[in-house]
Amino acid sequence: MKLTVKLFATFRQGRFAEAELELAEGTTLGSLADGLRIPREEIGILMVGGRHAELAHRPAPGDVVAIFPLLGGG
Amino acid sequence: MATPTPSALADDEVQRYARHLVMPEVGRDGQERIKAARVLCVGAGGLGSPLLLYLGAAGVGTLGIVDFDVVDVSNLQRQVIHGTPDVGRKKLASAAERLRAVNPHVQVRPFETRLTSQNAMEILQDFDVVVDGTDNFATRYLVNDACVLSGKPNVHGAVFRFEGQASVFSAPGGPCYRCLYPEPPPPGTVPSCAEGGVLGILPGLVGLIQATETLKLLLGKGDPLVGRLLLVDALAMRFREVKIRKDPACPVCGERPTVTGLIDYEAFCGTRGGPLEARGMGAEMTVEELAARRQAGDEPLLLDVREPHELRICSIGGLHIPMNEVPARLGELDPSRELVVYCRSGARSGQVVAFLRQRGFARAVNLTGGILAWADRVDQKVAKY
Repeated sequence: MKLTVKLFATFRQGRFAEAELELAEGTTLGSLADGLRIPREEIGILMVGGRHAELAHRPAPGDVVAIFPLLGGG
Repeated sequence: MATPTPSALADDEVQRYARHLVMPEVGRDGQERIKAARVLCVGAGGLGSPLLLYLGAAGVGTLGIVDFDVVDVSNLQRQVIHGTPDVGRKKLASAAERLRAVNPHVQVRPFETRLTSQNAMEILQDFDVVVDGTDNFATRYLVNDACVLSGKPNVHGAVFRFEGQASVFSAPGGPCYRCLYPEPPPPGTVPSCAEGGVLGILPGLVGLIQATETLKLLLGKGDPLVGRLLLVDALAMRFREVKIRKDPACPVCGERPTVTGLIDYEAFCGTRGGPLEARGMGAEMTVEELAARRQAGDEPLLLDVREPHELRICSIGGLHIPMNEVPARLGELDPSRELVVYCRSGARSGQVVAFLRQRGFARAVNLTGGILAWADRVDQKVAKY
């Protein structure tokens, strides 16, 4: 299945801002992050189609996944 | 939060707040509520600067400020409450002076201290709303827990590079910061604005969202950002919103809270003693030691892991491989050779040293304090940034 994956802030370094990825059906968001070498504990927010999602969520073909790191600066 | 009991306006205040008074959503009653309000801002930095200026101008009667830092010239690109003549002054003194100039009707209550588990509840007790303008996770969890335990709303904001976020936590029935982030990130994994930079305007944008939410809470008007996290992407100029649910299992605001008093937040975030010690690294070299080795003609190989654009600001020499490229370029390094890894502050290079040691580079060490320490203690001609 094809997914559009959008990365934000530091997650873009050495990766991409937005890409269309081909993944096996049933892949979880956690596995997607693992494949992108994004440590799960560094993920702040996961969104699928603009809605908050968990690592165990299995996106559907065509979904838009957004992965945000934690922000702490002030 | 119960809106503050109105406090009568003097004639000159009626003139000053005329543009508020003509709006039915504010009016004289609303302005008197704003005047009676007491808002505590934790941090007078990037977020605190704009929000304090606007809350002061808007007529918030009492503004508390918690800060222990001094104004550095590198703050001025975004911390607009401070000016060039304030460099080297206490941020509290600088901010209080500016606020009095903006609006002499505002009472500024300065707290020259770091917010701690020991003083937080006492400091918070005299305020109606708390605004989080801090720059580290330990204080963010402390502000959150203190707000939940004292029943005060926590107007949250955070920034990094071109991105920011804002929400209102700990409002009645709404989630808290821990509902969104139950666990802090591992120490050293989230770069600070000092490490990664921040667009100077961004804390202005996010700080003023916080100021707006604060005024709405004081007035009891509009839809507050409760249960919603606003994500700001300044490069794309997009504002996204994520719904946040109150977590029934939240250890602070859940149904069976296990955190019923303030805890040790440095320990909770694993930051006591610095992130390197916390991760069990400790392979370090001081800048004085490196300078002595250099003078004696016995300089080890230096590895600069900063980004290319940082190299154009200043350098202390050596091989340059940006941090993210190190795993793919290990072949350029000799594992048997002594290697001193550095970056701007020693945080990123500490992570690289940990990685290199796992890969058999037993003689890799981190330059403690990085270029900043070198510029402070060895060569003041090296630019600090």
